[in-house]
Amino acid sequence: MKLEPSIFDIDYSEIQKRTCRFIKEYVENAGAKGVVLGLSGGIDSNTTAALSGLAVGGKNALGLMLPEEENFSQKDIDDAKVVAEKFHLETAVCDMTKVMNGFYKGIPVFDPRDRLCKGNIKARTRMIYLYYYANKFNKIVCGSSDKSETMMGYFTKWGDAAADITPIMDLYKTQVRKLATHMGIPKVLALKPSTPALWPAQMAETELGIKYETLDLMLYGLEKFMNPEEIADQLSIPKSTVDKVKARWLANEHKRRMPLAPKLGFRTVGTDFRLSRNTY
Amino acid sequence: MKDKIKLALAQISSKREDKGANLQKIENLTSKAKEEGVDVAIFPELCLSGYVVRDQFYEMAEIIPGPTVERVEALAKRTGVHVIFGMPELSEKTKATLFNTAVLVSPKGYVGKYRKMYLPTHSVFEEKRYFRAGYEAAAFQTKLGKIGLCICYDIFFPEVIRLTRLKGAQLIVCISASPAVRRSYFETLTCARAIENTVYFAYVNLAGVQDGLQFWGGSRLVSPNGDVLAKAKYDEEDFVTCEVDFNDLRTAETFVPTLRDLRPELFDKLKEHSEKI
Repeated sequence: MKLEPSIFDIDYSEIQKRTCRFIKEYVENAGAKGVVLGLSGGIDSNTTAALSGLAVGGKNALGLMLPEEENFSQKDIDDAKVVAEKFHLETAVCDMTKVMNGFYKGIPVFDPRDRLCKGNIKARTRMIYLYYYANKFNKIVCGSSDKSETMMGYFTKWGDAAADITPIMDLYKTQVRKLATHMGIPKVLALKPSTPALWPAQMAETELGIKYETLDLMLYGLEKFMNPEEIADQLSIPKSTVDKVKARWLANEHKRRMPLAPKLGFRTVGTDFRLSRNTY
Repeated sequence: MKDKIKLALAQISSKREDKGANLQKIENLTSKAKEEGVDVAIFPELCLSGYVVRDQFYEMAEIIPGPTVERVEALAKRTGVHVIFGMPELSEKTKATLFNTAVLVSPKGYVGKYRKMYLPTHSVFEEKRYFRAGYEAAAFQTKLGKIGLCICYDIFFPEVIRLTRLKGAQLIVCISASPAVRRSYFETLTCARAIENTVYFAYVNLAGVQDGLQFWGGSRLVSPNGDVLAKAKYDEEDFVTCEVDFNDLRTAETFVPTLRDLRPELFDKLKEHSEKI
């Protein structure tokens, strides 16, 4: 198998169709009145918004814009609006500043210098808003995590990855960008650099230390059971880079699963209580 | 035996863990099949229970023949239509040994069953966790002709279909629950199995989404020379009727005589080498 950019040139019409069908059937089976999703103005949420709008109809897809003082970006809001308008989504803006300040003041050991701990509060607060709206209006929360970030554990546990469904979680970032372009999302938005927006000027590729174009090929190779030597050789990068990515992928499995319980009973939640996700 | 028979490819989606609702769907579509002069109505793999029901298979499984088969017998008798469908089977000798089974019922009653031989347990599939593999190929004599049964992943193993053909099946029915990522494999293999065995091959897949698995539908009837004679929609529920003309077997068998040219001694080699893989 050759690791080259063209492996991501798949049939995006089919991907769009299947993803929309997945959203639509889940919402129908759950007896919900549509979806609610966070609209950050980034590529993942814009693509998820577009898919949701097509799947359940814009009126049934509510995009929540959740700005707060520290990370406020009018451009991100404008970018989110472009897609929301194009796919006819309902939108609402909730300024989280007061809530965030409440957390900062209310946590006895809060330390503003620890930006990761602080940033994670933001991601989890966004989740609280989304689930409030979902509960209130009988909607399901539609997550926007992609495969690259999920494999790398580049998300906040019980924060941005917390959702009822995650329609693009099996698509690498490179594929999400291509799907977005295929769906008519303006190229400038499809290619916009990603940020989790946990603190000002935070950029995903800088934090990950690698370009998504390369990362995705490495992850694709790992997905297909290729060994790190082979991947490094094909991509002409040091094996140590692949080793690091592989180690990070494996180390973050705890973020992708139910909390671990000691095995004490006959069948155990999250381990061998194997039930289907029955939504009806 | 009839020269020509009419099939209904009843490509349904299943409501998981709701045998009543699924049986009702089977009854409705078999009644529709009767109105359209169909001889055999075919429903997908595990359509009685749903495919992704996991531990609930233990609650869904029944002895065959049992209550569900009795209801299908009444249905077949009432409509005059043969019915083939998939369900989880409970071994009559145990309390929790299950099989993934295809059942054939005629208007005169229960005809027979086939227990899936190859149980996928890789990727998203976990069949061996719940089911015991079957050991026997199945070809049943009916007034319509000899009908063979196989299930989904069996199609990747030509020996299953070959054995079914060698037992005399002239129409082989493959019921399936195949997710969309495997569509191209099945589209190829349905034709291959028909051609290499010079046999009519009817493939009926699930539609709908279960636990994120999207079943691709695309049910079809393939002629003994590999032509796709009828094809159901992708992804969605569909009901397609089509005709099998057993006279065409003669033409196919003379054009590419694979059965005449079989080399039994190679099967011994196959056994010898597969034991050493």
